[in-house]
Amino acid sequence: MLRDITIGQYIPGTSLVHKLDPRTKIISLVLYMIGLFLANNFRGYLLVTFFTVGIILLSQISFLTIIKGMRPLMIIIILTLGMHLFLTKGDPLWQWGIFKISEQGLRQGIFMVLRLIYLVTITSLLTLTTTPIALTDGIEKVLKLLFIPIAHELAMMMTIALRFIPTLIEETDKIMKAQMARGADFESGGLLSRAKSLIPLLVPLFLSSFRRADDLAMAMEARCYRGGENRTRMKQLVMGSRDYFAFILVGFFVVTTIYTRYW
Amino acid sequence: MKANKIARISIIAALYAAITIALAPISYMFIQIRISEVLTVLPFLFPESILGLFLGCLLANVYGGLGLIDIIFGSLATLTAAYLTSKMRHPFLAPLPPVLVNAVVVGCILHYVLEYPLYASMFYVGLGQFLACYFLGLPLLYLLKKRNWSKR
Repeated sequence: MLRDITIGQYIPGTSLVHKLDPRTKIISLVLYMIGLFLANNFRGYLLVTFFTVGIILLSQISFLTIIKGMRPLMIIIILTLGMHLFLTKGDPLWQWGIFKISEQGLRQGIFMVLRLIYLVTITSLLTLTTTPIALTDGIEKVLKLLFIPIAHELAMMMTIALRFIPTLIEETDKIMKAQMARGADFESGGLLSRAKSLIPLLVPLFLSSFRRADDLAMAMEARCYRGGENRTRMKQLVMGSRDYFAFILVGFFVVTTIYTRYW
Repeated sequence: MKANKIARISIIAALYAAITIALAPISYMFIQIRISEVLTVLPFLFPESILGLFLGCLLANVYGGLGLIDIIFGSLATLTAAYLTSKMRHPFLAPLPPVLVNAVVVGCILHYVLEYPLYASMFYVGLGQFLACYFLGLPLLYLLKKRNWSKR
């Protein structure tokens, strides 16, 4: 079961989106979201849809991969649609007993579902086209731009954490199997008993993790790690003309969504 | 920052993300329990885990969640809750901040991003958090305290 998980789902490629500087991608993502939240009518959403599809095509990531990423969100998508369909008041389109669907509800439901889908699509596109290391480098630089003092340490910790996530997932799997061999039951019972059955899993997981942390600290000290001071990089991040082009494109997108909202 | 502090914080972050991913939320009707939220009791014993939880939540939300809004505000909520937990005096109060802060912040995220009814979403998020933090987190906290883990 745990083997199917693909964390840091980076798909190597040579597309324009892959080649962009991670800082460009992170800042553009923020701008895109501003545009997405400004869209509030049919024209606005049409524009966002065209722009999003355009980026997906540019990134050369298959639509199937993106759709697969939506699977865990199915429940929340259905919930969102249902809630807006049945709870928004307005001119009734269809009625059955107490269930009533209004035109406004249908519209709002579809818009909110689209918003959710685009939010997730564009964020996963960032991780699909950026290596985890480039991503943390980009985050470090963006944090420095925001004058956050421990930017280097934060980025370092994120890199280490990313490295250890698969190891700890494997460890969780191992401990789960070991406890099941001793008769632990993780899969039956109600919500609370299922949650409680996880304690024999969590305690050994904690202890082994902290042992790992101590080993790691020793390894870092042995290699004279002293934090961010005077540290240099083998690969420097450089912004190129394609990055400026991307900013112009995203800027244009935001301005046009503002236009569709107010005019 | 010392290497051992960095290592511990990183491992806690990895642990949070790994548990979130490996044990995807157990859901029963509308109430969802994010098992990794049990870790939010850790700052009570070990203040350094505040940053670890923040980073872990950030990473977990990057790879699954509602996108950037959730990444920024969800992890800031975890950071605030973790800080408050570290300031609590009694173990019984330790799981309270993650319940309240997440109910309010995540409830607001659901309200503003997906336009859910505000109080209902706060209530359901709070209920899920309450179950995770009090029924799982608190026993874990007592167990770790009994093993004198914080002194290690």
